[in-house]
Amino acid sequence: MSEPTFEEAQRELESIVERLERGDAGIDELTELWERGEELYRICAAKLDGVRGKIEELARSGDTPPESG
Amino acid sequence: MKVAATEIDGRKVYSVRAFNGGVASYLGKLPTLWIEGEITELRRQERWASVFFTLKDPEDGACLPVQMPRGQFDVLELGLSDGERVHVFGRPELYAQRAELRLKALTIERYGVGAHLAALERLKRTLATEGLFDDSRKRALPRYPRLIGLVTGNDAAAKRDVLTHITQRFPPANVLVAETYVQGPRAVASICTAIGDLSHRGADVIVLARGGGSFEDLLPFSDERVVRAVAACQVPVVSAVGHEQDTPLCDLAADVRASTPTAAARLVVPDFAELRERLERGRTNLRRGAQRAADRHVERLTATRDRLSRAPALALERKRARLDNAHARLGTLSPLATLDRGYAIVRRGDTVIRAAAQVSSGERLSVRVADGTFPVTADE
Repeated sequence: MSEPTFEEAQRELESIVERLERGDAGIDELTELWERGEELYRICAAKLDGVRGKIEELARSGDTPPESG
Repeated sequence: MKVAATEIDGRKVYSVRAFNGGVASYLGKLPTLWIEGEITELRRQERWASVFFTLKDPEDGACLPVQMPRGQFDVLELGLSDGERVHVFGRPELYAQRAELRLKALTIERYGVGAHLAALERLKRTLATEGLFDDSRKRALPRYPRLIGLVTGNDAAAKRDVLTHITQRFPPANVLVAETYVQGPRAVASICTAIGDLSHRGADVIVLARGGGSFEDLLPFSDERVVRAVAACQVPVVSAVGHEQDTPLCDLAADVRASTPTAAARLVVPDFAELRERLERGRTNLRRGAQRAADRHVERLTATRDRLSRAPALALERKRARLDNAHARLGTLSPLATLDRGYAIVRRGDTVIRAAAQVSSGERLSVRVADGTFPVTADE
């Protein structure tokens, strides 16, 4: 399974919480759900905290740079 | 005018005055024509016979000094000021004394805003008819953009504003900046190329940012090519051009319009702090939810075990009750009940006497009544 995007991970985490709160999760699933939830939390947190954004400049295709101002 | 040369050592030599006069009369043969430019350095004084200004080419800054008789200038009542675009009707003239070229203006017409506005209005109607501005064409912006493309001039302010607001609101944001000319003759092609390049490089949303400027400054953003490039862009475009009151046509073709760089940032990236909080809340709820679900299972198990431990005693009790019941019913069937009513059972040993013939005279028998047994002897 490929790494989910932040949005997917967050949605899955929230749906797991909903399931747990509804109380229809079997005992065998419980650990599995909780562990998956924690993993999703870690994925989301890493995406938020671990990554600093990059700001890059696209090389201009024009000839001379415009004068500033 | 006659230009006379003096013959010196076999060479024709002109005086400066004669030369200037000659050039002046040559220039005087050029036709009268219209020239478009921007008014700068307008100088008008009551004691001067003429009004002076410089006509500047807005695209490359080429300059032409203009002179106009003050009376003619005042009659026009144009109230011109520096920076205005005009059409000047005049002819070139050389101020012979100093060999200075200037345009002798015969009349001036204000040009620009009005004419541009009309042209823009026509273009706007054409594009609207084509459906380029339709609401149905507007796309939603990605909630978590992977790469934000930023088209901006290198005029620092607009670019810095947008970048600062984006990174402040959402530090993990990735931005690819394409600096372009945002005014002047190269702006249009440069903006169109930037939009294409950014979407090609994987930007999933593009912000078009340009600080405020004069009506003319913002014209490239109403150019048909730019407007079409915005509309045709593969990914959603946010237009953050000019100030609130400006509505360049690219605003109408863009998927969303932002009135300020801050607004543009708010549109393209989520609020980091809010996201973080939501994530933490998710985790807390996950733990609480898992705990609660586990607790419920434990409770159910405990209850079952309790019932299990109570089960044998319960079963025994039930059996006892049944026995007691049977016993009670047995009581009603006992012969003792009959004896209570005054009957007696006569036995010889273990044998119950059921007929008189069974008894011989003098035999010892036992009689059982309700409260006990006593012996008797049979008579004759």
